Amino acid sequence: MTSARSQSFVLGLIGVSLFLIAWEVIGTYRLAGLTWPPLSTVLAFLTTPAKLPLFGRAAAASFTSVAIGYLCGACGGLILALASHLIAPVRPGLDRLVAVIHAIPSIALAPLLIVLASADATPPIISGLGVGYIFYVAATSGLATASATHRDLFAVLGASRFSVTLRLDLPSALPAIASAMKLSVPIAFIGAIIGEWFGASRGLGLLIVSAMQNFQIPLLWSAVLITAVASLAMFALFSLTERLVQERMR
Amino acid sequence: MSDKPAIRIDRVSKTFRLGDGNELSALVDIDLTIAPGEFVALLGPSGCGKSTILRLVAALEGATAGRVTIEGKAPADLCQSHRLGVAFQDHALLPWLDIEANVALPFHLAGRSVDKAQVKDLISLVGLAGFEKARPKQLSGGMRQRASIARALVLEPEVLLLDEPFGALDAVTRRQMNVELQRIWSRHSITTLLVTHSVDEALFLADRVVVMSGRPGRIILDLPAPFARPRAPSVMRDPAFHDMVDRLTEALEPEGAHA
Repeated sequence: MTSARSQSFVLGLIGVSLFLIAWEVIGTYRLAGLTWPPLSTVLAFLTTPAKLPLFGRAAAASFTSVAIGYLCGACGGLILALASHLIAPVRPGLDRLVAVIHAIPSIALAPLLIVLASADATPPIISGLGVGYIFYVAATSGLATASATHRDLFAVLGASRFSVTLRLDLPSALPAIASAMKLSVPIAFIGAIIGEWFGASRGLGLLIVSAMQNFQIPLLWSAVLITAVASLAMFALFSLTERLVQERMR
Repeated sequence: MSDKPAIRIDRVSKTFRLGDGNELSALVDIDLTIAPGEFVALLGPSGCGKSTILRLVAALEGATAGRVTIEGKAPADLCQSHRLGVAFQDHALLPWLDIEANVALPFHLAGRSVDKAQVKDLISLVGLAGFEKARPKQLSGGMRQRASIARALVLEPEVLLLDEPFGALDAVTRRQMNVELQRIWSRHSITTLLVTHSVDEALFLADRVVVMSGRPGRIILDLPAPFARPRAPSVMRDPAFHDMVDRLTEALEPEGAHA
């Protein structure tokens, strides 16, 4: 580890500590009013044994939606990107279709999906649409990044279209796809939480909405904290993956 | 069969259509025949269209007029049957593969199983033994070019195309690479077309040096390089070599340069 990297790690640690201390202080002295509890109160609430099954059920439901949405969105986005890469005539149409779907705010889409599909299918669908968009955009641009000289080389060596895609375009696209993996994480969580607001039977999103409406401040903050920590942890994990892929492929 | 030309460039012209609707005449009425096993160097100032000729032979471009044939067939046929080897100025090694896998790449693209002994032989022929597992970015510019030449030769191609393969190297490494390439080529004697703007390089490596003028590109001189093979670096100190360097350098000077 270089000294620059360890320095930025230490600075990051200091930053996070300052943030957590500020949270605690603001809550303790009620600087932001009654709706800002100190961190210690939230953590105490979160670790109350009686509450664990509630959080467990909600988190399991939401994380399942996130996982399904993420995987389906990633696969869908990659498959569409490959189709647009391999079949030139469909490219403009696919680009536009994906852009149009993405341009519809998910808040507007959610009620529609609840009517069309079901309340429990809505969170993964919204999540998947957002993730799919990121993967599609990253993969289509990534698949086009191979240099002109590499393309010439493959042409002179008589490579088939399939070989060019497999041995040149896909490896060249991996760094962009790794970035999409990272950037999709918050999108997947937002999609799942928003999807749950519109009447899912369980989940962190539902917990957030009902806690807010019933003024259960520690419960609200706990649900938000679980979501944030999970999203950040996954984001950090995929950041690491992204760095490894970029070192390996470049 | 041996008197049949390996590469025939038959009164070829190439015009590029520019973005503003104008046309750029890159090559006019180029006529060039390369015999089997012959090493021809195309020498010319930058922008004279010498790389365009190589791209026509590599089936990367099509001629506007005239015809390019390799062994009587279209160049694309040779590509399709994986019998063309190429090395560019940009080494074009794949950064995610190690040297061994890069050199073995043509086998995969040809849908053949990798001949490991052949890959190993070529890696040691170009002086990279021990670097099989190194990644391109860990090697020097000269070593990367060696790897790209090994890759060009690995399928034992009928025709080898070299597009300024040492153009990005420093003078000392370049000369050393020329000596190496001469040695390697003497082992294989493949029909070779080398594009370069270095007079020394052309003369030292080739059997014949073809000089082109710039814009539009045409052939202005076609000289044999009558030095016995294998050629030692000392050839470059031969007075006859110097005379020819002078002649070729003079031919390269643009018309009206002194006006």
